[in-house]
Amino acid sequence: MALDIKIGDRIANVRLVKKDGSKATIEVDDKLYDVDIVMVEEGVYSIIHDGKSYNIEMIQGNSPKNYFVNTYYSSLEVDIIDAQSRYQQNRNKDGIHSGDKIISTPMPGKIVRIPVKEGDVVEKGSTVIVISAMKMESEYKSPTDGVVKKIYVNEGDTINSHQPLVEIE
Amino acid sequence: MHLIMIKKVLIANRGEIAVRVIRSCRELGIKSVAIYSDADRNAMHVRYADEAYHIGPSPSKESYLNGDKIIEVALSCEADAIHPGYGFLSENADFAKKCEASGIIFIGPKWESIVSMGDKISARQKMIEAGVPVVPGTQQKISDIETVNKIVNEIGLPIIIKASAGGGGKGMRLVRKREELVSAIRMAQSEALSSFGNDTVYIEKYLDSPHHIEFQILADKHGNTVHLFERECSVQRRHQKMIEETPSPFITLELREKMGEAAIAAAKAVNYEGAGTIEFLVDANRNFYFLEMNTRLQVEHPITERTTGIDLVKEQIYIASGKKISFTQEELIQFGHSIECRISAEDPFNNFMPNPGTIKHISEPNGLGIRTDGYVYEGYEIPMYYDPMITKLISWGRTRGEAIERMKRALFEYKITGVKTSIKFLEKIMENKDFIEGNYDTHFIEKHLEELLDIHNDPHPTTTDMAMIAAYIDYTSKLEKLAMSDFTVTRRNEKWKEYGLIKSIQRF
Repeated sequence: MALDIKIGDRIANVRLVKKDGSKATIEVDDKLYDVDIVMVEEGVYSIIHDGKSYNIEMIQGNSPKNYFVNTYYSSLEVDIIDAQSRYQQNRNKDGIHSGDKIISTPMPGKIVRIPVKEGDVVEKGSTVIVISAMKMESEYKSPTDGVVKKIYVNEGDTINSHQPLVEIE
Repeated sequence: MHLIMIKKVLIANRGEIAVRVIRSCRELGIKSVAIYSDADRNAMHVRYADEAYHIGPSPSKESYLNGDKIIEVALSCEADAIHPGYGFLSENADFAKKCEASGIIFIGPKWESIVSMGDKISARQKMIEAGVPVVPGTQQKISDIETVNKIVNEIGLPIIIKASAGGGGKGMRLVRKREELVSAIRMAQSEALSSFGNDTVYIEKYLDSPHHIEFQILADKHGNTVHLFERECSVQRRHQKMIEETPSPFITLELREKMGEAAIAAAKAVNYEGAGTIEFLVDANRNFYFLEMNTRLQVEHPITERTTGIDLVKEQIYIASGKKISFTQEELIQFGHSIECRISAEDPFNNFMPNPGTIKHISEPNGLGIRTDGYVYEGYEIPMYYDPMITKLISWGRTRGEAIERMKRALFEYKITGVKTSIKFLEKIMENKDFIEGNYDTHFIEKHLEELLDIHNDPHPTTTDMAMIAAYIDYTSKLEKLAMSDFTVTRRNEKWKEYGLIKSIQRF
């Protein structure tokens, strides 16, 4: 079975050629690797390749197809790309083209202030919502000139990460 | 002075410091009591303590800052003493006074000492009386512009305007040009009023490239006061310390002695008892000035513990029970070099935005000369209500160079997944030439910010390929398992077969 795997900008085709116990031959794009690979702890793999030892921690991300991978030298995000994720990526692309800008935060927090109301005309860079998390207040600014189409939350609300807060049209 | 047996201590705090205090209690055979808010039911200090009581909703104001409730819990569980940790109620004179009135020992100074050091103008006056140098400036509340002009003529620009009741950088204004003076004073006053409910401000000379160096002191009820040397805390971002080390690479033996004496004089001037820290500013010409006193344990206390071998929390408890300090000034030495890195759940590459969330995986460093003081664990959700600091990494080496190399090694081993942390940023500081040479002041981060944020995260291509191979194997074995579980559902009776199948895919 072959899989497309993505790290950063690079997408490689990975294929198992043969496998016998912990010894495996795996092809990454056009390169063949003979490796000895063992799962040593839940989600942690030890790979020996060409005498070199790699300790690789695989931490499941947002879905079973998304991983955070730690080696001693780097931390990477890895995505498995199959037909389903390809389809979803294309759909998300369409979403961005629709012209709506939804403001959300990467972390949970509490709404301190919403200095705008629905229907207000806002300029690019003006503050539309202020969130407090861990004793620090962060201002979120409008990414574009536009009109406040919808406000999904109220001052004092507790919010989750990536929750839609304000929509600018 | 009669001795009191402290048998049970309530820790009026959370996070790493609560865990750290409980550790010393355990070594002393003292029972520990944790308190917790709604958000902290799962927290490590609750799990680690002997007893735990809920005190209120998640926001600090309704829980960890609710002194009356905390005293009520302490009385009902018959705790002899309260350890306030740092932050929250640790420098609240009112709380210390209430503890005393309720017959509970407050592990810290007498409330009168907190009051004298809490008001910056009165603290300055006390220091001048005690012969401790203070930054040139006013000793009283600013009244009229004429007096201000006179003072500025004496000490020269630039100056800094500070709120008497202030702290943490709030209500501070820097003035470099005379024409900015009047408006800056008005603004500082209004900011002080809104932040601290008190518009009293004062003027200090602004030192251009200062070092922030503090001295740890201990004082008992028998009149003994000692200092445990300095901590260099100049690696700061927006007045928040990030890295501390001891000994300071900047000060000389002679200066250390002078500052140590001044620190002891400062503590004696307010009849101090317990552990405290005298913060000084040291200018480029190695003149030092009293800045303020922190009347509590500091976040960075472990580096002092590491180089002196003294457990500061134990000493706090001894002192509170009326014992003498367990050593003399002459017995103390600084052995080797120690560095602390504060690791926060924040994203240095996105303007240090706080990043609460769930810890998916954590691998902590270990080995010779490494200590971690943290409180998060796998599966723990860091609450959004409190400080973003999640762990402290402390390294020790015989020399400064070895302590830096060891810190680099430990940061390299430290893996926290699920939330963004400052680990990579701290690694960059350890690799910075000026830092390695010990050539830095409080402007270090500002000055080097661009290069510190420049992470060339270019892993070796083979490493990337290995990560892909691990992802391939992990994902396909997950698929296999999934397929197998569907399979076994339909053939539930054949347990031996199921066992055999599971066995055959367990290689990974």
